[in-house]
Amino acid sequence: MTLTTQAADPADTGATLAEPSRRRRSLPPMSTKLAIGLTLGGLILLFGLLGPYVTQDPSLVHDYGLTGPSGSHWLGTTQTGQDVLAQLAHATRGSLTVGAIVGVLTLLLSAFFGVVGAYAGGWVDEVFSLFTNVMLVIPGLPLVIVISSYVPDKSLWLVALVLSITGWAGSARVLRGYTLSLRNRDYVIASRVAGEKRWRILTVEILPNLIPLLASQVVFAVIFAILGEAGLSYLGLGASGSFTWGTMLYYAQNGLALRLGAWWWFVPPGLMLALFGAALSLINFSIDEIINPKLRNQTRAARRGWRMSRQQLAKAKEAGL
Amino acid sequence: MRHLFRKIGFYLVALWAAVTVNFIIPRLMPGDPVDILLSKLGQRGPVTPETRKSIEALLGAGTHQPLWSQYTEYLHNLVTGDLGVSVTFFPAPVTSIIEQTLPWTIGLIGLATLISFVVGVGLGTLAGWKRGSWLDNLIPVTTMFQSVPYFWLALILLFALGSIWPVFPLNGGYDVYSVTPGWNGAFLRSVVYYGTLPALTIILSSVGGWMLGMRNMMVSTLSEDYLLTAEAKGLRPGRVMLRYAARNAVLPSISGFAISLGFVVAGSIVTEAVFSYPGIGSALLQAVSGNDYALMQGIFLVITLSVLGANLLVDLLYSVIDPRTRTRG
Amino acid sequence: MRTRVTRRRAARLTVALITATSLILAGCSDDSSKAKPGGAANSSITIFNGANGTIVENWNPFSPTFLQPTEGLIYETLYYFNLAAEAAPRPMLATATSWSPDGKQLTITTREGVRWSDGQPFTAKDVAFTFDLIRRTPAINATAIKIVSSVATDDKTVVLTFPKPSYTEEPSLIGYTPIIAEHVWKGIADPAKSINQNPVGTGPYKLKTFSSQSYVMEKNAAYWQPGKPQIQTVRYISLATADAASAAFIAGQIDWMSSFLPGLDQLLKNHKNLTYVNTPALTASIFTCADAGLGCSGAQTDPAVRQAMYYAINRDQLNKLAGGGFAVPASPTLLLPDRDKKWITDSSLVTVPGGADPAKANQILDQAGWAKGGDGIRAKDGKRLSLTIQTVTGWSDFISLNDAMKQEFKEIGIELKPTQVSWNEWNNNQVQGKYQLSLDSIGLGPSSNPFYTYNLKYSSATTAKVGESAGSNGNYARYRNATVDKAIATAAATNDENIQKQQYAIIQTEIAKDLPYIPIYVNSLLTEFNTDRATGWPSNDNKYALPASWKVWDNGIVLANLKAK
Repeated sequence: MTLTTQAADPADTGATLAEPSRRRRSLPPMSTKLAIGLTLGGLILLFGLLGPYVTQDPSLVHDYGLTGPSGSHWLGTTQTGQDVLAQLAHATRGSLTVGAIVGVLTLLLSAFFGVVGAYAGGWVDEVFSLFTNVMLVIPGLPLVIVISSYVPDKSLWLVALVLSITGWAGSARVLRGYTLSLRNRDYVIASRVAGEKRWRILTVEILPNLIPLLASQVVFAVIFAILGEAGLSYLGLGASGSFTWGTMLYYAQNGLALRLGAWWWFVPPGLMLALFGAALSLINFSIDEIINPKLRNQTRAARRGWRMSRQQLAKAKEAGL
Repeated sequence: MRHLFRKIGFYLVALWAAVTVNFIIPRLMPGDPVDILLSKLGQRGPVTPETRKSIEALLGAGTHQPLWSQYTEYLHNLVTGDLGVSVTFFPAPVTSIIEQTLPWTIGLIGLATLISFVVGVGLGTLAGWKRGSWLDNLIPVTTMFQSVPYFWLALILLFALGSIWPVFPLNGGYDVYSVTPGWNGAFLRSVVYYGTLPALTIILSSVGGWMLGMRNMMVSTLSEDYLLTAEAKGLRPGRVMLRYAARNAVLPSISGFAISLGFVVAGSIVTEAVFSYPGIGSALLQAVSGNDYALMQGIFLVITLSVLGANLLVDLLYSVIDPRTRTRG
Repeated sequence: MRTRVTRRRAARLTVALITATSLILAGCSDDSSKAKPGGAANSSITIFNGANGTIVENWNPFSPTFLQPTEGLIYETLYYFNLAAEAAPRPMLATATSWSPDGKQLTITTREGVRWSDGQPFTAKDVAFTFDLIRRTPAINATAIKIVSSVATDDKTVVLTFPKPSYTEEPSLIGYTPIIAEHVWKGIADPAKSINQNPVGTGPYKLKTFSSQSYVMEKNAAYWQPGKPQIQTVRYISLATADAASAAFIAGQIDWMSSFLPGLDQLLKNHKNLTYVNTPALTASIFTCADAGLGCSGAQTDPAVRQAMYYAINRDQLNKLAGGGFAVPASPTLLLPDRDKKWITDSSLVTVPGGADPAKANQILDQAGWAKGGDGIRAKDGKRLSLTIQTVTGWSDFISLNDAMKQEFKEIGIELKPTQVSWNEWNNNQVQGKYQLSLDSIGLGPSSNPFYTYNLKYSSATTAKVGESAGSNGNYARYRNATVDKAIATAAATNDENIQKQQYAIIQTEIAKDLPYIPIYVNSLLTEFNTDRATGWPSNDNKYALPASWKVWDNGIVLANLKAK
């Protein structure tokens, strides 16, 4: 469960019904959106990876507090004179770590419970589906508190783990729905009739078609993990000892940064979050276009004219193969 | 019919499992409610060590029942609608606190979700119908709002529209200074006025998702053969857009909407914290910080029921929309 | 500020943005509301006492969850103890008390001419009934006072009898027991669980209206203090965060609140009507799990380490960084240097040092055998001098304290590892003794007599083995010292202040050496006022009550003292 009001993104459900074409594994075409998304995401990633090595100690306090951007502190200081830029670098690394852990775990858990269950059918599907539904309704917030009570210091890993545990079920449902409709496709039935082994059908016939959907689920999981972590932090339940965008915002908010005019403290973490989320969304647009070829750059106006460019013709041919 | 019964049975089992988990979670939490109440009391005024005994006598704690009998009692109480007594708000029963707070949450967040859905689907329909138009190009921008942390956006808007330009009220569910709660016009107007900014922030941060989903489904649907046929027949474009394309394209969004309705209660926590809104989310936060088992369980139950109900609805909808998911190999 | 025009425009903007018909109504919100006319005729103020979320009605002064105005506004005590200053208890519903020579009988003379808010006269019978109800009902006997009998000998005299000398119980009896009306409470079947929906008290205010988001108290016209109170109605509201509170305060919607607001001076700069008072009262201290014999583990069980930390702390710097400059020096005796001057015998123990003394700290550690290792951290018998300190998630000033002390301790070779845990866990760790160091505050006792602090915090009677619960707000440090125990017992058996002072001097020497609680500073207690609608708030020149808006009893004194403007 994430703390955002938006639970399941309609884009996912939208994708569920899209016609998959068989064994198409082309890379997404490079569009402006994708280029911007990759560049932005890459830059933030780089900042998170390298930033902490070149900035000061983020916890180092100074006798002067809450000063604006200056030569010695490019993004100013917090209430206790800590360097905001250094905190931002460490926070970027922290938030990205949360995102990465949740992304991987969501991929594994949702693929296992969604795809395998739906493909196996019968009681396995029933049990997996039941489990998924139960996980979907467990409130994540108290779970964070319960789990953290066994660990004295709530680390990033712990928060990420909890976010994955409470977050994978939605993806699993989407994947299950999609797999259910895949396994009744003619070509799957055909290979079953032809006597192919079950695991082979799963890995060779079904999984490749699921890759784009899996990718988009992971991207969403990463966005929601980072946002979820920020939400938990805002409520004071996040990874307390470490730096993330969420904990930075939490301290800024606690220090009444906005009301005291300390925009350099309050705005950067939120902006970083927004930019990274936007980058991932832009990448997701391109993935969507693979899942659903109809979303590609063919417009109605073009089709209404009953004309097709050479390129489009080639694409149509390719799709027909 | 058999299919329907199977589904309902399935959800009953899920409900049981969820209810059991709800029973276990609070009992694993650190701290004893007596200790917590004592220390809270100590913050307000001096207490002596002996106070513990009187608090224990008050809460009926100290008699250590085995977990199993607590569990059966819990299930029995659930069935009879008795959710127990809250410790944080002692001696108020949990049901009365839920009764007091739930309408605010459903009113604000439920309504905002609905508005967001209607607006998003409407704009998505137009964007998908006219691909490449300005509205279509706006979609990446609206999705960006979705990646902005909700509370960050809300705090900035609240600061700008509440403090710098005092257009909207700063906190609360209605004007407590001059309005008496009840079914009177002044109160209802005040509620709407106080709810506008919170609702606006929710809509702003969630409308993009609906828009994108609907737009993509519109685009997919528009390439179906039956739409070509409809256009070839020379039907009016408006009719083709609404009756042929949008009607089919909206189905997955509706199921998504049902799911998001289930998360109204869970998603309310942050909104209510930012706007000091008197809903069930703030009650849950209070319950968590006070180790109030009974209240937490009561609120979890509300969350569980709403999520399960919404999912049941989606499942039933899906078997109507896509018969392929109904047939079993 | 808020004109109809701007609000209309906002409404139009809303409609244009989201085309939602349900929100069009927003434009019609009536505006007359915000105008709060001054003058005594219908003067009204709004108080934020820290309530957040939904408010549940409970006016039972014996319930742990009663609403704060119950004690002070509705119900009153026999005497009022002002903890903000060194002052004699002020007579309220009683005019005199006297102890029998053996300390087993307390005779109380009650005030005449007081009426309950329903018009019935108040007599000594009500007082006798109150203490008798407490005697009969363990669930409401919060201080577990052992009373043999409570009898009204005539209309203005009550005699309380105890099984043993009970001098030390006097403050909680006369200063913290709400006096209730016999004619109302004799009909209440379960006094512990009632919510006392229509409270009848003797206090300056009575309940007017209640809703789950705000409630209003109105003036008790028949209040026994002539000419008081002046403010007609008092409203209490609920807010979720300090940010929300500061916004509402600056917007002029709150007249009285007590929140620590960072950058307070800057926030109030352009608002002449807004002011604040700082009345430091709680000593922020490092609690240490001190006694290895009771199961504490870690280097802090060595008194030398605790002494070294005491000298290594740069309190001036901490006050600047974490205290907002509002904190004042604490005393190694854990008393308040300003208020409790007369109780501190040794003048060298009045205040803690301001700056750090790393040389002295190093010397203490060297002598105790803690030698510096290669990484700059000391070690003894192969164990590094590394300590974990816990504080509560979100207590930003304490978190800043930890950040700064981490740097200060590193200079003398102590590694400090701050952790943040939930309030429940933090509290649980302290109660159970499962911590090495913990940041917390020393609270106020029922009166300014040091007995209450020393008995709670240093007596081996209020502690327990690690893993077992110590008494509430008790000796969390697991401190045991036979000399201290003996002095506490001697002081409890008398009400002769000179004997008590001698005993406290013994305790002070011991605890200043052992330092189970390492005092940092007396933390600020900031209270913000709006002087537009009311004046006469407590100030540093006139500390007639503790100004904190969340404080029971004191709030009634303050409200009765306010002048409408």
